[in-house]
Amino acid sequence: MSNLPGAPVSFADRLADRLGAGSVTGLLLKFLFLGLVNALALYAILTLLPMREWTPLAVVVVATIAIDYVYLSKRTLPLKFLLPGTIALLIFQVYPVLYTAYIGFTNYGTGNVLDEQQAIDRIIADSITVPDDAIRYRSTPLQNDAGDLALLLEDPDGDLFLGTEDGLTLLEEGDIVGEGAARVVLDEFTPITLGDLGDRESEILAFSVPIAGEDVDELDLDLDVEADAISVQTFNTAAVAVQRLEYDEATGQIRDLEDGTVYTAIDGTFTAEDSSTLRPGFRDTIGFDNYRRVLTSPAIRGPFFRVFVWTFAFAILSVVTTFVLGLALALALNDPRMKLRRTTRSLLIVPYALPSFMTALIWQGLLNTSFGPINQILGVDIPWLTSQAFAGALPKFSVLLVNLWLGFGYMFLITTGALQAMPEEVKEAARVDGASGWQILRQITLPLLLVAVGPLLIASFAFNFNNFNTVFLLTGGGPPIQGTLTPAGHTDILISFSYRLAFAGGRGQDFGLAAAISTIIFFLVAIFSYIGFKRTAVLEEIN
Amino acid sequence: MAATDPLSTAADERRFDAATFDPTSSGPKGARWWREGGWRYLVGLLGVAFALMPAYFVVLASVSPVATLSGAQLVPRAVTLDNYRELFATTPFFTWLWNSIKIAGGAAFANMFLSAMAAYAFARLRFAGRRPGLLTILLVQMFPQLLANVAIFLFLVNISNYFPFMGFGTQLGLFLVYLGGALGTNTWLMKGFFDTVPKELDESALVDGATHGQIFTRIILPLPLPILVVAGLLSFIFLFNEFILASILLGQADANQTLATGLFRFIDQNYGQQWGPFAGGALIGSLPTLLLFLFLQRYIVSGLTAGGVKG
Repeated sequence: MSNLPGAPVSFADRLADRLGAGSVTGLLLKFLFLGLVNALALYAILTLLPMREWTPLAVVVVATIAIDYVYLSKRTLPLKFLLPGTIALLIFQVYPVLYTAYIGFTNYGTGNVLDEQQAIDRIIADSITVPDDAIRYRSTPLQNDAGDLALLLEDPDGDLFLGTEDGLTLLEEGDIVGEGAARVVLDEFTPITLGDLGDRESEILAFSVPIAGEDVDELDLDLDVEADAISVQTFNTAAVAVQRLEYDEATGQIRDLEDGTVYTAIDGTFTAEDSSTLRPGFRDTIGFDNYRRVLTSPAIRGPFFRVFVWTFAFAILSVVTTFVLGLALALALNDPRMKLRRTTRSLLIVPYALPSFMTALIWQGLLNTSFGPINQILGVDIPWLTSQAFAGALPKFSVLLVNLWLGFGYMFLITTGALQAMPEEVKEAARVDGASGWQILRQITLPLLLVAVGPLLIASFAFNFNNFNTVFLLTGGGPPIQGTLTPAGHTDILISFSYRLAFAGGRGQDFGLAAAISTIIFFLVAIFSYIGFKRTAVLEEIN
Repeated sequence: MAATDPLSTAADERRFDAATFDPTSSGPKGARWWREGGWRYLVGLLGVAFALMPAYFVVLASVSPVATLSGAQLVPRAVTLDNYRELFATTPFFTWLWNSIKIAGGAAFANMFLSAMAAYAFARLRFAGRRPGLLTILLVQMFPQLLANVAIFLFLVNISNYFPFMGFGTQLGLFLVYLGGALGTNTWLMKGFFDTVPKELDESALVDGATHGQIFTRIILPLPLPILVVAGLLSFIFLFNEFILASILLGQADANQTLATGLFRFIDQNYGQQWGPFAGGALIGSLPTLLLFLFLQRYIVSGLTAGGVKG
């Protein structure tokens, strides 16, 4: 703060000022921060560059340049305060939301996890088989200084070959120098040591030596079959193998070399004309198929609509029940003449103060059919959480009851606050005019209260709409709806349904469908948030 | 204060003296006591019983000698700490608790700081894009992160290919994901509080040659500190409770779990056998947020109006 007009200004302070920092300490902190950011960025760039991952590389470079510019320039004051949060927001909130929408248009999931090239490689590799009468070799895995793998092969006649990833070479006498583990082949390759053998196990077992037609004739391999490669079978054997399928890059099709069948990629799966398919598939955009499945597939449509309706019922009933109980308690306890009022309040909000995941798990135990204390004390066997009867009416009731227990404390808190903030004069005036207590409650207190807590009720609805913890940790979404192909339960709400499709299916993971349902929830939430905002007019208050 | 009893009738205008509240009195006096406010005690008692009943069962189960659910009674026959011993012996309970406190606490603190910085810019600086920026934050808040769980999972699996130390199955990855929620409701809340700090304060500091960085850290931030603390603690409680992202991002390693995912894996499908030890864990695990909340209550009740701290 020494740069007041006329005050002596040191060089360090002038430098600090020029770089937009207020003091030398500030300047040091800034350089420390920027140094750290740039060091991390450099590390990231050096990691990504050899992998040729251009998109993440570009993101890192652009973000780093943006940070450096913003914090070194004097013209970017607001951004200095906004950038860190914004970057976090873009990467971990905005991007995932957009990515969710994209995944909703793909077939991403079990059986379609790989990208197209990986899937083709896998299909081709899987089509390589060793015929029963194939020539088998004794094999020794080798490597050179660069770490390239090779095989020293000995055929049944005792001829020796060197197989590399480029092809096969017949070895003459003198090409191998030394004995055992000290052998050197063609002055380049040496046997892989036992230690390395373990480290490169999967690499070695997947290794194969291509043999083109002409080589085969030249090398006089005595092959009866049309062979394509010599592949490793175990650490010390290899055999001639036949490749059945071939990928044609020009047409993007896979051809069966034996019977000529052609497979074309349709929605991420290579499919022949007789609709036989090759596995694995790859992830691919499939347009609105996931949404079409939600609306038309009998296995998904039925459970989806049940879950959809229950989600709204659950959210609305949760708000209504917690609000009514919270309000009733607030009205009853909001009397300054009452003793122990403060203590009672503190005790009433205990359920709200406990971690919600914990209370859901606790209630699951309390309501357990055979061991639960509630059944034990009542001396009954009520299947609170598992009854299938009447579309799971009892588990639905239990979920609402638990959510009531969880939420009434909050409603009690906010309605008490609103009641205490209410101007007493209005009620006083009504009383003077001869209004009854009930009339005052109905026509003055409640309307005023609803204006005050209305936005919070909408927020509570939005929260319960996605109240994953209560539903999933209490019932796991169950009991299961009978006769469906998707993991859907009677108490499932949309978010838990989507979660189970993606992560807890038991029938494979369907990321595409789960993301499509998440996208549907996005739109629903957007619609009722818009209505909520319009009502509370929050948009006009921005200044 | 005048009577704030919304249910009292117009005829019911009398002020009470202490004697009318004596619950031991009976006869016509007791009836009058009941009519004029005594029923409130019954309502309060029923409410408290409803609120505390499950907690009572949990305390009971945690000290009861039977490790299973069967044999639950209203009054314990004997008290033992065996359940706690078994919990600590069979699970890395304190590792889970520490993980939760570490991840939720770290993320809440970072979120508060990032949020406060943004709120300062929105409250004090005027720049192009300010209104759209505020609206964007509001808009993005409509789409909670948990809805994008599939995308976040696949994103972190992808990050693992490049930077395994912050990808799928790491606590750092989960922490970073939680930072995505930094700009949100809290930014709005804090902007509101910063707006109440008189502008003259920082204007005079500006004249004295302070930079915006100094004004932010030395003048604006300390003023509504109680509010920042409250918002930070609420954010901590929210993240402490977060289950869905933690369950899909932390992987399978037992020592990697938070309290929420760890206890879930411990108790799910195992209520018959693990109820006692679980109850012990539930009690200890509830203490951090319960204590924070009871501490917070003073701020909540005595009014967020205190946010208008004098300059």
